[in-house]
Amino acid sequence: MIELRKVGLKYGDKEILKNVSLTVEDNTIKAILGPSGVGKSTILKLMLGLIKPNSGQVLVDGTDITNMKETSLYNIRRKMGMVFQGNALFDSLTISQNLGFFLRENMKLPEEEISRKVAEQIQFAGLEGYEDQLPESLSGGMRRRVAIGRALIFKPHMILFDEPTAGLDPVSSKKILSLISSLRHNNNLGAVIVTHIIDDVFNVADSVAVLYQGEIIFDDVTEKLYEAEHPFIRSILSDKILEL
Amino acid sequence: MPVTFIQILGKKLVLQLKAFFLTMQEFFIFSVRAFMSFPKIIRYWRDVLDQATICGTDSIPIVLVSAISIGALLAIEVGNLLEDFGAKTMLGRSTALTVIRELGPLLMGLMLSARFGSRNGAELGAMQISEQIDALRAFGTDPIAKLVMPRLVAALIMFLPLTALSDFAGLQSASYMAEHYHRIDPGIFWNAVYPRLVAKDFVVGFLKAPVFAVIITLVSSFNGFSARGGTAGVGRSTIKGIVVSSGLVLIANFYVSKIVLENM
Repeated sequence: MIELRKVGLKYGDKEILKNVSLTVEDNTIKAILGPSGVGKSTILKLMLGLIKPNSGQVLVDGTDITNMKETSLYNIRRKMGMVFQGNALFDSLTISQNLGFFLRENMKLPEEEISRKVAEQIQFAGLEGYEDQLPESLSGGMRRRVAIGRALIFKPHMILFDEPTAGLDPVSSKKILSLISSLRHNNNLGAVIVTHIIDDVFNVADSVAVLYQGEIIFDDVTEKLYEAEHPFIRSILSDKILEL
Repeated sequence: MPVTFIQILGKKLVLQLKAFFLTMQEFFIFSVRAFMSFPKIIRYWRDVLDQATICGTDSIPIVLVSAISIGALLAIEVGNLLEDFGAKTMLGRSTALTVIRELGPLLMGLMLSARFGSRNGAELGAMQISEQIDALRAFGTDPIAKLVMPRLVAALIMFLPLTALSDFAGLQSASYMAEHYHRIDPGIFWNAVYPRLVAKDFVVGFLKAPVFAVIITLVSSFNGFSARGGTAGVGRSTIKGIVVSSGLVLIANFYVSKIVLENM
């Protein structure tokens, strides 16, 4: 379980997050919805301890990681896999090396086992035949699948997705969303999805938190979003409501 | 009106000073962490070898070109000057001291600051803005141990033979020019070089290699890690890395010479 308690964050004079409180339960998919540049990705980095808040607390499985040292944080981070917005694949490594990176770095596994796990992820991501290619030679959707595979390979409890469908064509987006949905059913995983695309929320999320002007203005199960009265939520839902 | 202007100026100055000291503090912590990662050298030995090839073997051509050209130029100019005093036979002595103590290591340092430093700055800067460094941290890997320590170890190892190569090439080209331009017999040239060189001359020259290795690697890597603001930010951080490390190489060159020559 990941918990943010009254977290505040400033970059210089700019207040990014104000008293943000949020809980992500195990084995559930939580979406964080909001316009671009509002601090959604920052929340994921706070959950991983990549940045530290100015106030409040961040807890992972009950452990306060707010002021934890970098070396102590490595064990906490191994509970979570992260899929970055730009994928953040290591561009000098092949797809197989990217997928096996964590296992080679942090787990003392025999090379045969690493190869077997990498092959599993290659199959899961539908990337057979691309094992020895560099990331630059793959399409956007394929790269995203490699990034997901890399985050899954060490069997974390929770996966954090930063804009998983941003910049992808509709077919690739659909594939990624069905991949995310299948994670919980097949691997018993929890996930946090940061997005500005409301369709993604309704497609995969169990609950949603809406971030607006640095504050959480809604945090409940996805279906209840339709009942929200906040003008911002009404405005982002308007297209969706018209469709129904 | 002038009071307001001075107040704004003062406020700006305070902010800039604050930012400067904050950067210095971050650089100090970054450097300490790079040195503290040395025990992980066995784990990252492949990265050390890769970096040794980049900063060592691949840098040989540029080090040779700069050393040969400066050795030849030095022989011509110093020879002309000595001729006025009828002391042309001292060309070997004066060239050897200048090349071994000063110009050999200095030119190598400046060339590597441009070549190795710019590569570090650009590569690490690109990794920073594409979130690859965050990805390393997210996957439980210390980016300083993985990316900076191998560069530092490789530079510490490779800068010494590169200094020797730079000295050797500089002296050989000076000897060639002494023979073909000033018509000085190579025997006379080398006789003026060998018997008069003392340990102090080599200590001055070779002590600069590890000092330059630390300056160039840490400054360029720190600037790469600090890159912000897309591709333009990578460009800015790379330039900053080269300018600062080159300046520091020049300053360190002076102080190492001064300290060693005064105390040996």
